[in-house]
Amino acid sequence: MWRESASFILDKHQNNKPISLTHSIDSPPPPSASMADENPNPNPISAYYQTRAAHHGIVTSEWLEQAQAAVRRYPDRDSLVSGRPFSVIEDFNSWRQQPDLAEAVAAIRALAAVIRASEATTMMELEIELKKASDTLKSWDTTSISLTAGCDLFMRYVTRTSALEFEDFNSAKSRVLERAEKFGEISCKARTIIAMLSQDFIFDGCTILVHGFSRVVFEILKTSAQNKKLFRVLCTEGRPDKTGVLLANELAKLDIPVKLLIDSAVAYSMDEVDMVFVGADGVVESGGIINMMGTYQIALVAQSMNKPVYVAAESYKFARLYPLDQKDLEPALRPIDFSVPVPPKVEVERSARDYTPPQYLTLLFTDLGVLTPSVVSDELIQLYL
Amino acid sequence: MLQAFQEVVKDYSTPPENTLNRDMTAQISSYVSFLIECRPLSISMGNAIRFVKNRIAKLPITLSESEAKASLHSDIERFINEKIIGADTVIVEHAVTKIRDGDVLLTYGSSTVIEMILVHAHELGKKFRVFVVDSRPKLQGKLLLRRLIKRGINCTYTHITAISYIMHQVTKVFLGASSVFSNGTVYSRVGTACVAMVANAFRVPVLVCCEAYKFHEKVQLDYSICSNELGDPNAISKVHGREDINYLNGLTNNAKLKFLNLMYDATPSDYISMIITDYGMVPPTSVPVIVREYQKEHLLQSSKIVI
Repeated sequence: MWRESASFILDKHQNNKPISLTHSIDSPPPPSASMADENPNPNPISAYYQTRAAHHGIVTSEWLEQAQAAVRRYPDRDSLVSGRPFSVIEDFNSWRQQPDLAEAVAAIRALAAVIRASEATTMMELEIELKKASDTLKSWDTTSISLTAGCDLFMRYVTRTSALEFEDFNSAKSRVLERAEKFGEISCKARTIIAMLSQDFIFDGCTILVHGFSRVVFEILKTSAQNKKLFRVLCTEGRPDKTGVLLANELAKLDIPVKLLIDSAVAYSMDEVDMVFVGADGVVESGGIINMMGTYQIALVAQSMNKPVYVAAESYKFARLYPLDQKDLEPALRPIDFSVPVPPKVEVERSARDYTPPQYLTLLFTDLGVLTPSVVSDELIQLYL
Repeated sequence: MLQAFQEVVKDYSTPPENTLNRDMTAQISSYVSFLIECRPLSISMGNAIRFVKNRIAKLPITLSESEAKASLHSDIERFINEKIIGADTVIVEHAVTKIRDGDVLLTYGSSTVIEMILVHAHELGKKFRVFVVDSRPKLQGKLLLRRLIKRGINCTYTHITAISYIMHQVTKVFLGASSVFSNGTVYSRVGTACVAMVANAFRVPVLVCCEAYKFHEKVQLDYSICSNELGDPNAISKVHGREDINYLNGLTNNAKLKFLNLMYDATPSDYISMIITDYGMVPPTSVPVIVREYQKEHLLQSSKIVI
């Protein structure tokens, strides 16, 4: 399963040349006999989803070695930040190797490192450097909403300090660095805060429906189990990522009773569900969320049966997007593996995510507190004013 | 109106025993009552007047008269440039991102912001067509139609009675507003609410474009009679240019018949998908946030300003 594992680090988007590390990258697009749903296609595949898929696996030490070898083998790819000894992409990738770290948090840490390593002598120069680094990171994967949102929010948070009016550049810089580290820490700790806040909502004997493998939701369930709460989890299969199976494995290890459903069985099982928990790839300005394909369906069914839908999202995922309908998003495609060969004339809907409007969501659990969807815009307006 | 006030400021000279602040405020108030007699103030005019009075009140006493006048003049100039003209530019930028190739847009009446958006989108080369919906008695849509045709935009003109017939073809509805209230209700030309409701029934997104200075913190629960403006009753009893439609001719003075020519109506926030302002694209639930931020910015430490 991991024969092509290290390939996700290679920046296919930037270079657009087929960098082949192992044999499997050049293998033809699906179907193939194995469950190679991480098989990169010649068509642009959202690197974000590749990363998530890769993270779901087990990180062995030999995989890590492969990864590092990959980074070392192609050093010139990082000279986008024109020949400086410090490269933000390199730093970003090194942070990203930890599977527990969210992509946006890795970006935030990398940007903080940019400030630390910066040789700028004026505030303006520092800001320009930061902006350039942030743009580089964003262009690495244009389909990842949390990455873009995280970078933008970081920029606003860091430059929004009156320290910038100080005469002494060094003190201003250290203040900016302080804020940057603080933002990084908040983002890192966001998951634990969210897990704590949501404990009140999980009562003994409840049944929770979960969709997609969100690390935040997993943290919530883990904390609940540690607090000796008795509850049951229904996991949707989550085709084509098979995330449901992975999540079910992890939950079973924690001795939480788990039941797997195929995606079509959600309405069938909704009667016995008490609440729905989902994560989010991004939270948009209307208060809706962008999440793995299938979330909208589940939210619709839940709302029609009066079941609350709770979204667990860190605050750095608040993005300045406002989709009007499903097609208003940047497309993020992923390969879908039907086990039978699909004839070439048949089109396949390969979008990896959908948009759930705010009226179907009950509450958002964020590190800023437990919020209603209309508060997202409030926060964004205040930050961007 | 603001430019008229600028002239007032320029021609003003303080009478001997009075201070500039108080006297000018009194003068402005008297001009405002004159304006009200001609026609009831719109909400955006009310906000602008509040701004001017606030600025006058905050003038430091130490300034000489010419300095004070110059400062007021430049303040008003800045308000016009930032909040009105500048805001329109920002709104246009945001709105054109929502127009895609192949879109069929619908607009009602004649709004300057909407015209700017459509023209700009056309200049950017986007392929779309426009339904211009119009209604009696003002028939303002005709003005918009003329200007759009001159730019070469593909348009269809129709009356408001036909909207349910055409709405299934429409992909987005763009509306202008006279004001937006705190609970997200949009106060606009009469007929807007109908258009928004029909669009909602056909699941077409409704985008309202409104500059932030037009927002007001009041809340109107009753959607038409609570506070509205009445127009000329003769405008509805007669059709301009068609003397043969004279069925109502003898009835204008009848005690039992009232001609109700309303100018404005209020669209509830449930029918609105998004509001585009110079603060960005916001959901209707965020209007009180903008009102709050706006007041913090412009009316800091404001004493009681009475209109």
